[in-house]
Amino acid sequence: MAEPKFHKADAKDLLDDRGYRGTLIRGQNPALLMEKGVRDRIIDSYYWKEQCFGLNAATLCDRAAELKFIGGTSGIMGKPTPFLCLAFKLLQLIPPKEVILEYLNFSGDEGYESDEDRPKEEPRNADDEPAARNGDGSRILDPNAEGKLGEFKYLRCLAAFYIRLAWEPVEIYTTLEPLLTDFRKIKRRTKNGFQLTYVDQFIDDLLTKDRICATSLWKLPSRANLEDLDMLEPRESPLQEEADRSDDDDGDIELLEREEMEMDRDSDAGAGSSEQGD
Amino acid sequence: MSSQKQGAYGGAKTGGDTHRKTWDREEYAQRAKDHDHKSKEESKARYEAALAGKKYHRRASTPPDVRATEARQARLDVASRVGTTVLVGASAATGKRGKGAGFYCEACDLTFKDHLSYVEHSNSIQHLRAIGQSTEVAVATLEDVRNRLLWLKRKRDEEQRDVVVDLDTRLERNRLTEEQEQEEKRRKRREKRKNKKKADDDNVMKYESDDDGVIR
Ligand SMILES: [Zn+2]
Repeated sequence: MAEPKFHKADAKDLLDDRGYRGTLIRGQNPALLMEKGVRDRIIDSYYWKEQCFGLNAATLCDRAAELKFIGGTSGIMGKPTPFLCLAFKLLQLIPPKEVILEYLNFSGDEGYESDEDRPKEEPRNADDEPAARNGDGSRILDPNAEGKLGEFKYLRCLAAFYIRLAWEPVEIYTTLEPLLTDFRKIKRRTKNGFQLTYVDQFIDDLLTKDRICATSLWKLPSRANLEDLDMLEPRESPLQEEADRSDDDDGDIELLEREEMEMDRDSDAGAGSSEQGD
Repeated sequence: MSSQKQGAYGGAKTGGDTHRKTWDREEYAQRAKDHDHKSKEESKARYEAALAGKKYHRRASTPPDVRATEARQARLDVASRVGTTVLVGASAATGKRGKGAGFYCEACDLTFKDHLSYVEHSNSIQHLRAIGQSTEVAVATLEDVRNRLLWLKRKRDEEQRDVVVDLDTRLERNRLTEEQEQEEKRRKRREKRKNKKKADDDNVMKYESDDDGVIR
């Protein structure tokens, strides 16, 4: 069957539980990946009607570039965030993998006319971040840690959320784990306000929590489980290598620093981390 | 109601009574003529179909310039109308014929009570037909998406540059005004000192002149 060339501007087909004939995700209508009550509030929302109507995978980027926070619903009425509405739109569009990966890893580098316009690698203070190092002490360039990938960070989060909902377990791990070194700050809408968090924290939540952004996540087999089944190679993150090496040299100091950083982060993120379900 | 006030719906006031329809005679005459013409043609077609023993189907005309529904580029202007939301039944989305108080759709000549029913209308097949758009949206390719993102990045970079430029000019302007103000102050101070000195001199002179020639 040829690929369809058009979407419906509205989501009537998606919302037709019995009549839905589009692509299935894990054997079911993708709309069902969100809860009924949340779905209803999304399609009743003004943002959905005004800003999500008639979007395709390209024009959706306009909206995603304007996002200022992630999150599920807020207030007593459970008003859906633009983030959640756009995620629901993605479930209608079901963009091909390469498009989702473009959302996730867009770097914007092609935008430079020549190499001279390209921003130079900035030499940074070695103590800035727990950056990984090669054997000779030079820095391993991790484009995620450098904030070079996923130029539009909320678009990146949106794609990650979608991947967690719509892709297969092995793909989820292999695609999302590299983002665990993206330490950029993001804002998250909670029921009553906002909370500071980080891209890597959000990714970690997607991989480990069972509920996020007003959405129950289907049960993801654990990484260890998939490793036992030889479906996944053990993960060797740049940070992990560093931690391993640290064990046998002057690692104690570095580890201490990292712990301090984690503590800073915890206090930054505030006490609200227990209400992840919002 | 005070005529000084802006209309409740943020629109330009059209005089004392914004609720009264302003009839555009010519427009309405033309519309009536069009309607007349269309219904005549239709009844002719229906008549001919009946003669041939067929049922008449009104042809769903597809304008040649049907464009795929475009995603709305800009938010509808509702910010200025905040606070006018009214809870209404689903039937509100049908709208009232003609221009009235509320949210008016020019293409369909319909007025809606609130922005929600207005935006529902603007998503309707009826409206999309009226403005020559289809209900279908072209599927974007990877290239479309990449180009879009590059464009968005360029746009954002330029905006940020503008902000910086803006900030720079503002700082420069502030600096200049500050300098001017200080110069002005300095000038005033100098003037004052000069006047005072002059006055002092005068006093001295006066004193001297007072004394002059008088020997006590
Ligand atoms: Zn209309």
